[in-house]
Parts: sequence; structure tokens; C-alpha cells
Amino acid sequence: MAKEAQSVPGFEPKIIAFLCNWCSYGGADLAGVSRLQYPANTRTIRVMCTATISPHHILKAFQKGADGVLVAGCHIGDCHYIKGNYMTIKRVAVLKELLRFTGFQEERLYLDWISSAEGVRFAEVIRNFTQKVKEMGPSHLRTTY
Amino acid sequence: MKAMQARVRKLLEENKIDGFIGLKMEHGHPAPFMFSRENLGEMETLVVGDVRYPLNKALLKVSGQYPDLTFGVMVRGCDERGITELLKWNQLHRDRVIPVGVACSSELAQLCECYKPYPSDWVVGEKTEGIAKSKRLQKIEGMNQKERLSYWLNQFNKCIKCYGCRDVCPMCFCEVCSLEDRNFILTGKLPPENPTFHLSRAVHMVGRCIDCGLCEEACPSNIPVRTLYKKINEIVKEYFDYRTGESSEGKSPLNLLGEVTLELSDVNK
Ligand code: SF4
Ligand code: SF4
Ligand code: FES
Repeated sequence: MAKEAQSVPGFEPKIIAFLCNWCSYGGADLAGVSRLQYPANTRTIRVMCTATISPHHILKAFQKGADGVLVAGCHIGDCHYIKGNYMTIKRVAVLKELLRFTGFQEERLYLDWISSAEGVRFAEVIRNFTQKVKEMGPSHLRTTY
Repeated sequence: MKAMQARVRKLLEENKIDGFIGLKMEHGHPAPFMFSRENLGEMETLVVGDVRYPLNKALLKVSGQYPDLTFGVMVRGCDERGITELLKWNQLHRDRVIPVGVACSSELAQLCECYKPYPSDWVVGEKTEGIAKSKRLQKIEGMNQKERLSYWLNQFNKCIKCYGCRDVCPMCFCEVCSLEDRNFILTGKLPPENPTFHLSRAVHMVGRCIDCGLCEEACPSNIPVRTLYKKINEIVKEYFDYRTGESSEGKSPLNLLGEVTLELSDVNK
């Protein structure tokens, strides 16, 4: 059942990006209006704050066949709900360790802070993460359910 | 055993407690029982043994129904950690619970790989050394990524979604369980979504699992779920310096926002 992880020629990964409304989504917007080029593999889900993303949502994204999941929010200290991202970093840390322990390739989950002024960095993060997931090949879970 | 019986009798006679949740030998099997002033004659049948039962789960139920009464409960090291944590999660009242301790045998401690197989005070048993690092964890950590993946995929695929692990767990007290959320876990399908079902339960055990091992004993499919939660406890200790149930100070790291002690580089390793 577990599909071999390998770089498949012509493979285009599906990436789910959870972006917080106030910072990272703004960053994405800026990247857009600045006409910056970045790969079109991400499907964005806008949330009010990264703290609203439960590990459930991330797991579900993988379960439904996402090859990578990006969580991006405001820099620490800039969260519009003050401490929302304090919770996010803890949750992601636990989930990544758990994914590592169970062999589900924690590198497919990536956390970053991107402000609404960082359009260039947004494009860069997407580019790098897409490239990384592309090299990793399709997720094992693509075929599971 | 006699010491436990004497202690419970004294607590009841002195009106320190209204009932004691312990084990009673019935038809040759130890079963949970509420000892009270009305049934003092039964005290001879109170047993300790190496059998374990989620007595704290019974305690949660009765203390919820009779909030004005005080209950005693038999506790091992794990059960005491459970009480400590349940108090912090506001599931019990500090002055409504009187634990009576049992130190576990070294056989049981080895079997559980328990890091503290004794409560802070005990009337039965002798203190034995705890086990610092679990061999079960070491075994899995020694595998490579592909081996770990196929190991857990195969284990989780055995799940028949009976919810036994959750139902027996003395630390599962939520009224609404995410594992029954239809938007989240598909219904009418076995095994349940692999790994979402199991990893979600594991995430929920952060700052809750007191490593009693009852879940694994209850599992009809012999899935080593305890090993998974042992890992959770290790993660919680390493990342947040928190040992579930060890001290009445602090709160589960995922139960409060707290302060930021992690950096992105700790997470995206
Ligand atoms: S070992 Fe299992 S039953 Fe015991 S507290 Fe942890 S998850 Fe619950
Ligand atoms: S007790 Fe075992 S079979 Fe039942 S739901 Fe839990 S893991 Fe699955
Ligand atoms: S609002 Fe952006 S992380 Fe909380």
C-alpha cells in the first residue's frame, strides 16, 4: 500500500497552504499584485489566524492526498490575536515529531512566518517548498484512501 | 492487602471519605467496587494485585454525580499522575479526593516500562526503580523511515474502530470526541482513516497521557498504541520540559498559549 517515495518525472505536487488572513495571505496578495512568478502547485486556504488550524486539518489534508502542507502566519509578536501563533508553533512541533516517529515524512509539513510586506519572500518560500516536495515525490497517502 | 483494607476502613470510620473506589474479589476476579460505611463487612474482599482497572474513570463519573461527597481511590504511580492532571484539567476537586497508594511490583514496572512505578505515598508494595528509556521506543527509533512507515501503516490498518482505547482511557473526559466527528473521520469505513484516526488521538494525548497502558490492553487488535503515546510523552518532555502528571505546577503545553520557547529552526529540522 505504501507507495515508494521517489522523484517521479513530470510529477506536479499538490500542496495545501494554510495562510493567516492578516499576514501571510497579505504576503501572497502582494506577491500577486507585484506579478512575482511562483509555481502554481499550492491551493490556498485562508484562515483568520494560524491558531485556528488544528492538527486535524493538517492530517486531513495529508489524508486527502496533499503531497505537502504549508502553514504560514504572522511573525512572532505580530499575530493579530496577539499569541495565536504561540500555539501554532507548538502544535506543528508536536505533529512533526509524531510524523517522523511514524515514518510519514515530516518534511512534507512546513511552518513559516511571512508578513504582508514580504511578497518576495512569499514567492521564495513557495518556490523552495514546492521544489522540495517535488523531489520527495508523491505522498504515500495519495493511494491510501 | 491487609494494610490497604485497614487504611480504607479507618478513612471510612473517621468520616474522611464517603466511599472508596477499589477492587473487590468477586467470583474469583478482581472487579471495581465502591466500599462504603454501609458495606464495611465487604472489606475482607478488597484486593490489590497486579490487575489494573481505570478506577479514575469511575471516580470521574461518581464525583461528577455526587460533587459534595469525598471519595478515596486506589492509586498506582500512573493513577496518581492521572489525578494530578485531572485536577489541573478541572475534572476533580482537590479536597474531594483522597488517594491511597500502591507501589507496583518490579515485574509490572518492567512490563509497563514505567518511569515512576510508585505514587508519592503508599500503603502496599515496595518502591522499585523506574525505567528511564523505553525499549519499545528504541526499537522503533532504530528503524529507518520506510520501516517505520510500513510498521505503523500495518498496525493502524488492524484497527476496527471500536473506540476501546478511548473508552478505557482515564484521561479521556471530553463530552464531544473529535474521533466521532463525521467531517473529520469518515464513517462506514474500516480501518478508520489511516493515520488520521490514530495520530489525532495521539495529539490529543499531549499533556494528558499518564502512561497507564490500559488502551493497549483494551485493544482487541493488539495495536501498540501505548508506544505511540509514550512517544508523545517524550516529545512533550523534550520540547516543553513538561512531564505529564508529575507536578501540580504548570499546565499541559497545548492547554495554554504560554510563552514562545521554540524557534522555527527547532520545528523545521
Ligand atoms: S496509556 Fe492509554 S489509556 Fe492510559 S492515559 Fe495514556 S492514552 Fe489513556
Ligand atoms: S482499541 Fe484498538 S481497534 Fe479499538 S479503536 Fe482503539 S486502536 Fe482501534
Ligand atoms: S493572525 Fe496571523 S498568525 Fe495569528
